[in-house]
Amino acid sequence: MSVNARSAQFSMRDALYEEPGPRTRRRIQIGTAIAAVVVAALLVVVVHQFWATGQLDPQYWLFFTQGTTWTFLFSGFLGTLSVSLTAAVIAIFLGFLLMLGRISGIRPLAAVCRIVTDFFRGVPSLLLIYFFFLVVPQYGIKLPAFWMITAPVALAASGVLAEVLRAGVNAVPRGQTEAALSIGMRPFRARMLIVVPQAIRFVIPSLISQLVVVVKDTTLAYVVSYPDLLQNARVLITNYDALVSTYFVAAIIYILLNYAINQLAVLASKKTGSGRVDRMTQNST
Amino acid sequence: MTTQDTTAPVIELRHVEKSFGDIHVLKDINLAVKTGEVVVVIGPSGSGKSTLCRTINRLESIDSGEILISGKPLPEEGAELAAVRAELGMVFQSFNLFAHMSILRNVTIGPTEVLGMSRADAEREAMELLERVGVADQAEKVPAQLSGGQQQRVAIARSLAMHPKAMLFDEPTSALDPEMINEVLDVMVRLAGQGMTMIVVTHEMSFARRVADRVVFMADGQILEEGAPEEFFENPKTERAREFLDSIRGH
Repeated sequence: MSVNARSAQFSMRDALYEEPGPRTRRRIQIGTAIAAVVVAALLVVVVHQFWATGQLDPQYWLFFTQGTTWTFLFSGFLGTLSVSLTAAVIAIFLGFLLMLGRISGIRPLAAVCRIVTDFFRGVPSLLLIYFFFLVVPQYGIKLPAFWMITAPVALAASGVLAEVLRAGVNAVPRGQTEAALSIGMRPFRARMLIVVPQAIRFVIPSLISQLVVVVKDTTLAYVVSYPDLLQNARVLITNYDALVSTYFVAAIIYILLNYAINQLAVLASKKTGSGRVDRMTQNST
Repeated sequence: MTTQDTTAPVIELRHVEKSFGDIHVLKDINLAVKTGEVVVVIGPSGSGKSTLCRTINRLESIDSGEILISGKPLPEEGAELAAVRAELGMVFQSFNLFAHMSILRNVTIGPTEVLGMSRADAEREAMELLERVGVADQAEKVPAQLSGGQQQRVAIARSLAMHPKAMLFDEPTSALDPEMINEVLDVMVRLAGQGMTMIVVTHEMSFARRVADRVVFMADGQILEEGAPEEFFENPKTERAREFLDSIRGH
């Protein structure tokens, strides 16, 4: 406990590995060099194969110099963004409710929330999409394509987010609840005022990282013909007969988007301090 | 002190039994604490003294027996239990300040959320309390920015803000660095001097000698001895207590 809270923050790397000595440093250098050679060789093979099969021919790449190509891809990108964001907001809301139900201490409610959470967590997103795409319309409910992709993606993510949030709740030391109860708060009050706010701070980075999964799930939009980035990329492929180059560009855009999301998570973890090892007030008896 | 029945002890335990699985942690505990009395509970670790302390505001339930607060049975749940807890201050070994709130908010949240006091009134009183325990200048910080001793004094202020009729201290100095123990004990000595009813589980024998009206010695889940501090420390009646006192004086 003498450890000052500020000096107690150290990175995961420091926590897991000791400082390498001279021999280890040498081994790391050799390993790095070998890895670099292998990666370079692989790259050469890939580029050579592309060249050999004619994938580097101008016909497959020139249409990327046209503004219309990018406008079309960008409209798909906006589609991906709007589905992702809407699904994320719904998933966080639903996940929060499921988590609250699960920790409510009311047995039947907790059981129902547990079943719902496990169901959405366990069922593949594609199956949920088929449900909204093929089953729901049979009951006369005609959803727009946007919702046929957004709703199932949101439901699938809600199960995962409920678990992430619950992990956050479990990470709040028991003493926090005890202190709240000891000043006369009812258990529900203690949970909402003391435990949940801290839990959310703990898991904000994980919640944001989880958005990457949501973004990847939205690529299933082609099933319902919603024009997201990948769907529009497929249209380009049919038009220009340029499969590899188009998928390559689409992949780069997805990677950049998800990298941005991850950076957001890193930023959030710095802001909330949840990334650091800070157990000053949490030592248990 | 006020209109309440002064003949009934503030806290009374009758034949309290408690087991964790196979471990019998409290065996036929009988204890009565009168208004203004300071009772210090000592004993080897694992003797059940912390559990005893925690049963009084039902952070730990009991298997059988009775706990009476001002003559009335301790409620088992709901608003009634919360109301009794609000009247019993509790100070923990690990401070348990609300980590996401400022020091000031830690002290005002009880009065505003439980007693329905206005934020302004609560803050005025909280500042006085923080002044009293000597951490008023830290009011805007968060708990992690304070030293252990400061955090524990804030925890005491947080309890006092509820105007408790008795306070429970569960090893309040055990998690502190040696140089911080006295600043917390000083606050507790002053509280005792002002007539606060206290049950203190501690290893601080000097505090027990100085402040206790009565010392309760526990071992293996039983109260083996109880009496005035001088008598207990000079002339322990049981072999177990003698061994315990020797072991802590041994160095």
